[in-house]
Amino acid sequence: MARSALRKGGGPEGAGRPRIAHLDRDRSLVDAARADPSRFEPLYRKYVAQVYSYAVYELGDHHEAEDATERTFLAALANLHRFEERARPADGEGASTFRVWLFQIARNTVAERRRTRRRHPETPLDDLPDADAVAPGDLAAEVVIRDEAATAMRAVDRLAGDRRRAVVLRFVHEMTTAEIAGVLGRSEGAVRVLIHRALRSVARDLGERP
Amino acid sequence: MTVPFADRDGGEIEAFIVDRYLESLLARHPADVEGVPIELRATAQRLAAGLPRHHPSFRFEERLALRLAEVAAQMRLPAAAGAEGIVVPIAARRPDPAAGTGPAGDDAETRDGRPTAVRPAVPPVVIGGVLTSAAISLAGAAIVAWRRGHPAGDPMARAIRAVSRARTN
Repeated sequence: MARSALRKGGGPEGAGRPRIAHLDRDRSLVDAARADPSRFEPLYRKYVAQVYSYAVYELGDHHEAEDATERTFLAALANLHRFEERARPADGEGASTFRVWLFQIARNTVAERRRTRRRHPETPLDDLPDADAVAPGDLAAEVVIRDEAATAMRAVDRLAGDRRRAVVLRFVHEMTTAEIAGVLGRSEGAVRVLIHRALRSVARDLGERP
Repeated sequence: MTVPFADRDGGEIEAFIVDRYLESLLARHPADVEGVPIELRATAQRLAAGLPRHHPSFRFEERLALRLAEVAAQMRLPAAAGAEGIVVPIAARRPDPAAGTGPAGDDAETRDGRPTAVRPAVPPVVIGGVLTSAAISLAGAAIVAWRRGHPAGDPMARAIRAVSRARTN
């Protein structure tokens, strides 16, 4: 799975070039987990919040996100022997092909959940940024943060499919264009255009709904 | 850097320029804004600072860790195959020592009013549905989240529930 998806991720910009395996930042952790599955935990601890956060943005529900997170990591653990570390120089410094592979699993898991259940109809914002945790002295600042977060999330939530995913991966998980291309199975050029159009769409949306 | 613009249309060129701008923005030192429309810069800055990260509850995280440990104990993965191809190390990303320090980046504007930098974006974090931010610690938010979910009768838990009720009414 990882091999074909990462090839797609390279896209036309990598076509025809010799493929070279690169050492990515998670290599030692992956090797340890492969040798002994009980050493999978560091990888889990490193990425559990990212996978969960991605699932929350996609599913709009904490319980659904927990379920998708659990399925993702169980699948990753069971299929770790199939993972193949392959990155290209264009993937950028500090790239993790394991993270890309893990997010491919998460994306498939979330898609499966969405196919079997309709997406939560309510905006996820009602149960997300919760002002109950606000320290009394910082109420005003927290209200501003809450409003900003709510506005931004609503705008992103209105984006369609891969535009939304690309924006979340870029701005929330701070993935590179190459990593996003690997997760979404698109070329890097396509990802740039996706994000560009998404930004234009959100800019119009925020302009109309300040 | 040479950009093969010859075979690209205007939209693709702008997408490429915006991509480079986002790279610098997310590295916490926005630069190279020339060619990036102001409304896109403002939107990107808003998303970078506003979109929260979600963190699972610690109870869920620990429960899943236990489940994975149980599964791992039952597994016998084959030994990893030998690496294919040439292994070329990729240097780990080094944190920029200047990033996020000091107020220099806070909403700075040039004389013509264009924003040149954004405040160091510290996006909010949501733990199990509870918002936190730089203003309070993650541990504090975790305790509050935990207490809200546990019907303990101690004074702190009662106080948190009372504040919660008061704010939602």
